[in-house]
Amino acid sequence: MNGYCRPRSVSEAVAILAANSGAMVIAGGTDLVIDRRLGRADPQAPLVDVTGIDGLRDVHWDGDELHLGATATVREIESDPAVIVRASALAEAARVLGSVQIRNMATLGGNLCTASPAAEMAPPLMVHDAVVAIQGPDGERRWAVADFATGPRTTILASGEILTNVRLRTPAHSGSCYLRQTVRWAMDLAGVGVAAWVLTDGTGREAAVQEARVALGAVAPTAVLVPGLEALLAGAPPTTERLGAVSAAASAACKPISDTRGTAEHRRHVAGVLAARALSIAHARAAGLWSGGLAPVNGRESAVASSGARA
Amino acid sequence: MRISITVNGDPVVQPVDPSDTLLSVLREQLHLIGTKWGCLTGDCGACTVIVDGRSVVSCLQTVGQIDGADITTIEGIAGRGRMMNDLQEAFVTHGAAQCGFCTPGMVVAAEQLLRDGVEPDGAAIREGLAGNLCRCTGYSKIIDAVLSVALARME
Ligand code: FES
Ligand code: FES
Repeated sequence: MNGYCRPRSVSEAVAILAANSGAMVIAGGTDLVIDRRLGRADPQAPLVDVTGIDGLRDVHWDGDELHLGATATVREIESDPAVIVRASALAEAARVLGSVQIRNMATLGGNLCTASPAAEMAPPLMVHDAVVAIQGPDGERRWAVADFATGPRTTILASGEILTNVRLRTPAHSGSCYLRQTVRWAMDLAGVGVAAWVLTDGTGREAAVQEARVALGAVAPTAVLVPGLEALLAGAPPTTERLGAVSAAASAACKPISDTRGTAEHRRHVAGVLAARALSIAHARAAGLWSGGLAPVNGRESAVASSGARA
Repeated sequence: MRISITVNGDPVVQPVDPSDTLLSVLREQLHLIGTKWGCLTGDCGACTVIVDGRSVVSCLQTVGQIDGADITTIEGIAGRGRMMNDLQEAFVTHGAAQCGFCTPGMVVAAEQLLRDGVEPDGAAIREGLAGNLCRCTGYSKIIDAVLSVALARME
């Protein structure tokens, strides 16, 4: 190949990558184009553009699995009716990523493969227990999205492999929510991003938690699942006391750094606060108690809506 | 590689380096310099253009990916033979431009927002234009201008 090619199928892309070891995959390009210009990625590396691959962009139901194509744009994810209703956390994370222009370009797969510690798509997919499909020279393998990123900007993808789709199930009586804290209300990376998912035994205020997951973004080298929640929550509704224990567990699961978006101590605190809040919204959605639509941008109810002031 | 695109209604066949950005092709090859060269990191929105009905930052748009696309830049936003459309007029009457550097990107992004049927509501417009930075106006007059057109176009 020359410097650039645009395969039409996954198998063609995999064959090209196998034959050109230095080649890099480009999707939306919102990270890679900058990295190449600044020399953080090799500007001479040949590009394999996966956005022309048939079907790689589809979002559809495959039986009871929601199938999200790797090159679906973040904007398509945020506006997909199935995602909004059945995987609310993912829609909520998508709609706060970058700007409209960036979301029109950036892809779901690109966000996961770039593997920023603040990757907006990772926590919601982790709480939904999503599975990624990876295609390589030896065929397809499936992997839990929770184990996909291995560190800042590193993933389990071996050379010559591409991410093709992400799948998740949305059982009855389940609900999810994503909240984040940022310094600016838009065009900012998360200081802390928190996704929660709950499965209940039915509807109504007294619906007991059967399963629950919380994932944290931007507070560790990769997004992390908070361990031990089942023991804290299973068998009862999430009372104030139980939510307090969730906060403590979330704060304890952080390994944050201090930077311009917050000190380590502040991040640890905010992760706890948002974990309890996101979990109670997820429970309300699972139990059919939620009529509030998607969470407001940046979780600040009044700041944007009432005055338009910069929060 | 040679790409065939439509730019502001005109068919264009152009030899390009496919890994070049749309911004550099527009400005340096097609000499459409209304689209501004700003941050080059996707943060400022000054380079916003419309590609197949979606606003994108042309500084990050690899040109090899858009062969066949229909592109509208600030030069084509008013439509053929017109100086300005209602949105551009509103920017003038509301005093929504000062130095003018952000204005082409702001107008293009706002135009697509209006075409997408943004709610005539200050908060929704602010959110929709969050990717367009202005260092002069303080945004209020820009939001007022877009809001006035959102309301006028509903009638
Ligand atoms: S120049 Fe493209 S976003 Fe600033
Ligand atoms: S008018 Fe000067 S940057 Fe907006």
